[in-house]
Amino acid sequence: MNSQRHATLVAAASIAITLTPMLGLFSGLGWTIPLLATIAVISGSAGLVRAGGRGQGLQTLAMAGALLVLLTVGFGGGTGFLFVVPTPATFEHFANLAAAGISDIIVLAPPVEAEGGILFLTMFGVGLVTILHDMFIVGLRTPALAGLTLLTMYLVPVSVSPEATSWFWFILPAAAYLWILADDNLRRVSRFGHRFTGQGHLVGPRFPSPLAASARVSGALFVAVTLALLTIIPTNTSGLLDQVAQGYGEGDGLGDGSFGAVDPWAQLGGALNRPDTIEVARVTTDDPTPFYMRMHVADDLVPDRGFGPGDWDDVQPLDTLPYDGGDVYSATVENLELIDEVAPVYGDPVSVDLGDEWGVESETGVIRSEDSSMADVDEFSFEFTDFQFDENILAGTDPLPEDDPIRQYYTDHPGDIPELDDYVEEATAGADSDFDKVRGVLDFLSTENGFTYDEEVGNSGNDEAILNFLESGEGFCQQYASAMAWMLRVADVPTRVVIGLSKGSYDGEQWTLTSNNFHAWVEVYFDGQGWVPFDPTPGTGVSGSLNIPWDDEPDESIEEPDEGTESPTDESSASDEASGAPSEELPESPTPDSDAGAIGQSDDSGGFNPAWLSLALLAVLPLIPLLWRSALRWTRLRPKRLSAVSAWDETVDLARDYGMPVGDAQTPRQAAASLAQAVPASRAPVSALASAVELHRYSGRGALIDGLPDAVKDLRIALDKSVDQRTRFQAIFRPASLADRFSAWRERVSGRRDRKRPTLRWPRRSNAGRPGPVTGRP
Amino acid sequence: MAFESSPQQAQAQAPTPLSPQEFKATAEAILTNVEWVIEGKAPTIRLALAVMLAEGHLLLEDVPGVGKTQLAKALAKSVDCTVRRIQFTPDLLPSDVTGVSVFDPEKRDFVFKAGAIFGNLILGDEINRASPKTQAALLECMEERQVTVDGNTYRLRSPFMVIATQNPVEMEGTYPLPEAQRDRFAARLAIGYPDVGAELAMLDHRGEFNPLEALKPVCDGETVVRMIATARAVHLAPELKRYAVDLVNATRSNAQLKLGASPRATLQLLRCARVLAAMDGRDFALPDDIQQLAVPVLAHRLIPTAETTMGGGDSTAIVADILRHVPIVSQPGRY
Repeated sequence: MNSQRHATLVAAASIAITLTPMLGLFSGLGWTIPLLATIAVISGSAGLVRAGGRGQGLQTLAMAGALLVLLTVGFGGGTGFLFVVPTPATFEHFANLAAAGISDIIVLAPPVEAEGGILFLTMFGVGLVTILHDMFIVGLRTPALAGLTLLTMYLVPVSVSPEATSWFWFILPAAAYLWILADDNLRRVSRFGHRFTGQGHLVGPRFPSPLAASARVSGALFVAVTLALLTIIPTNTSGLLDQVAQGYGEGDGLGDGSFGAVDPWAQLGGALNRPDTIEVARVTTDDPTPFYMRMHVADDLVPDRGFGPGDWDDVQPLDTLPYDGGDVYSATVENLELIDEVAPVYGDPVSVDLGDEWGVESETGVIRSEDSSMADVDEFSFEFTDFQFDENILAGTDPLPEDDPIRQYYTDHPGDIPELDDYVEEATAGADSDFDKVRGVLDFLSTENGFTYDEEVGNSGNDEAILNFLESGEGFCQQYASAMAWMLRVADVPTRVVIGLSKGSYDGEQWTLTSNNFHAWVEVYFDGQGWVPFDPTPGTGVSGSLNIPWDDEPDESIEEPDEGTESPTDESSASDEASGAPSEELPESPTPDSDAGAIGQSDDSGGFNPAWLSLALLAVLPLIPLLWRSALRWTRLRPKRLSAVSAWDETVDLARDYGMPVGDAQTPRQAAASLAQAVPASRAPVSALASAVELHRYSGRGALIDGLPDAVKDLRIALDKSVDQRTRFQAIFRPASLADRFSAWRERVSGRRDRKRPTLRWPRRSNAGRPGPVTGRP
Repeated sequence: MAFESSPQQAQAQAPTPLSPQEFKATAEAILTNVEWVIEGKAPTIRLALAVMLAEGHLLLEDVPGVGKTQLAKALAKSVDCTVRRIQFTPDLLPSDVTGVSVFDPEKRDFVFKAGAIFGNLILGDEINRASPKTQAALLECMEERQVTVDGNTYRLRSPFMVIATQNPVEMEGTYPLPEAQRDRFAARLAIGYPDVGAELAMLDHRGEFNPLEALKPVCDGETVVRMIATARAVHLAPELKRYAVDLVNATRSNAQLKLGASPRATLQLLRCARVLAAMDGRDFALPDDIQQLAVPVLAHRLIPTAETTMGGGDSTAIVADILRHVPIVSQPGRY
């Protein structure tokens, strides 16, 4: 195989290896086939053109052409000429596909099905990267640049779904990169010269490189150190370590619940972080002060995931929606971008004019469909009653009895997070009633207590993210709502999280809901009152947020409380003027993190943080040789093991450490003499040691071992005094004898095949008798 | 120091060994004696004595006039035993060496006239000038320590040692010893020129009298036999034997050598090492002893390849190189 063909294969294989981090993005493995085909076709066309002796320009054109043809065949939708040659219509089709793909990427949570626009975009991107990759490695012979292409490939899944992309998958691209560099270097050297061993032996081209072992070791070390650094660098979201614990593939836990294809949390994070705000719906209602629109309810709490959907199967027809009195308002929703399997509704819906495939989840009050989704609904209307609660009533409500099923289900929480318990303790100190606890937690999460709204925080609501949020005080509605609900559950208050849309902006006729209006808040169950919404997120952070009246300090109420029933859907009361004029402000730009925030605050909680452990380990790392050497000395000189030979071994190693090596072929007497000559002060101890080992080995009588440890000590002191500072430092922290030991060990382990050669290595023996197609010295 | 040397007793039973201290003292007395004659060559003399006590034979290879014959004579005189000298020439016959049966008219029988070999110390001068036939006769005696003439076998004396000399420079009209015969010599030594001080001292001494004539023996043949017995009892540790074998093996696998050392070389190496240890007052041998002996005992048995010779290498340098590389403790990697 000629070297260019070989390099082409290496380029293709390395980019194929780099597809592995995408495993977390797509469901199944079917997507690998078209992508591998893309790589194969592009590399193959480049290889063919190269074989024809054409230049880089034609090679690149050929690769681009191959990609275009491939896309036309696969995604042309029949617009291509003969299905192969793209026409203007084909490009138009591509543009549509790309647009669809982009919107899918924003909304869908990984893992997604690789089809349509997403697959098109992926193939296109991978194709472009493959072209660059091939150019860097084979055509331009600048394999170092291939690191960029590999990094690009790794960054795609990382940026799309940091949660689903484990750091572990960084190893493969890194290994692929090292492979490329090693292969290119081999190619370069083989082309211009001969390879040599460290001793100056020539190595034939077919033989493994004599330095390959060291290169492999240093490569592995490099990757290990990089990963270690990645692991310990604290990030403002969940650190990489979280994902170590979480493992690969668990990060997508949100997507496989009964939420359906659309993960509301992902949708929430994606929508709020959109660079361009889009309108998702327009609502017309006769309610002057509508509340948030409920969509999803997350009441199942799992530490690794946070709040997720409960397992409710009981979907009742829409005509069973109850009406329990109060003013009935009507609203019409014009759907622009919603594709969820749930319909957004205000307050307690009384009737919804959606089709038979829609129903109401009796437990959560969510309007949902098993078979259809909002994607099929352009417009729908519903009638509803507003929530109305009085804080004094709420304050006077007693907690549910402990054996109440509602209390049992909605206070279920993982119990082994002591830090969280501390926060709850702090927030609810002195609170008796459930309402006091709610107030305590709300105050705790308030801006006055140092919490700030920050959308930059990662899209996660798991235990780690919540603790980070409570420590750093930075998060957005997902963390606010999850943290509040979690804390209340710890405080034995039945709670759930609701995801939906805040009010949006009012233009006098319509409420316009944009992607910024996606929001999450909390509902707390009060005996006799039902589910009462609370919003811990500061109003400044949420577009169209609402000032919830019962959220404030209880005071003299103007309203008569409505004594409702216990059903979650039956709170109703007359509309009130409330205090909540919709705030029309845009979301405030997140306050810039003080960089001490994320890093500094994470350790004063006193909690265990693996990052610090790693850092401590890293600090100990330089001391390992010192410790090892000391342990070795101790082992040799401890009374049980002490013999003349072990003392002599220590002597030899000491001499090595202090730069006065004793050769294997030197007798103890000679060694002692040369040491005594170099360091006169060492004469007495080293002579004693040498004669002891002589007697032990050769007299057949054994030697007295009394005083040998002292002799070693004296020798060490003498040697220590005789050398300069630098040598002393090296002898203590980087003992050469250990390095020798290590290389001897490595030589043993590496199990070279040409081990049968005599144990002696002759520097002057050159290549006589060595096989290999060596044509002569260069 | 008094030695109980009773010849009758010694012949009757095995010689009683000396204590290490006695051995050392006696050896040093001999060395001092010989050094009185040959100034500034203590290490060489020491090795020569070691070879003698190891019952080996010595090949002195050096230029004329550096004291080869003096060394042999001084050594012989110091231990009070008989010295015979054979000047080898091309017309020397084997019978001149071994002896010959002549007809005694009075007894009407053949009587064996002992040759020059019947002595304790035989000095064979310029051994390479004798014909191969004569060389072979001498070498046979060296190995067998007996002479067979006309069907009668005569034992040679003990101690018995041949010190052969040859001139490495002038090779014209010589019969160089074949490898097989060189192998019979336990060691080859070169005396070398004396340094300036030693040469000056020599001039002072020799001006007045010949020190060799004034030399008095410091011990008798009987003591020498006992010393030989003592040296044989010196302890050899297994590690040391292994080291010797490693050294010899290294000569066999060395690419610069056409021929390595024989097992006989190993034997003689260790035998001499024992003597050196005893001379040092020890009852066990050390690798240091072996290292001192490696070049004298091994070098003359090795044949370098033609490339090495042309490249200016010789077997002495190769043995020295081997000594620098073979580990004392034979474990592939102590670690």
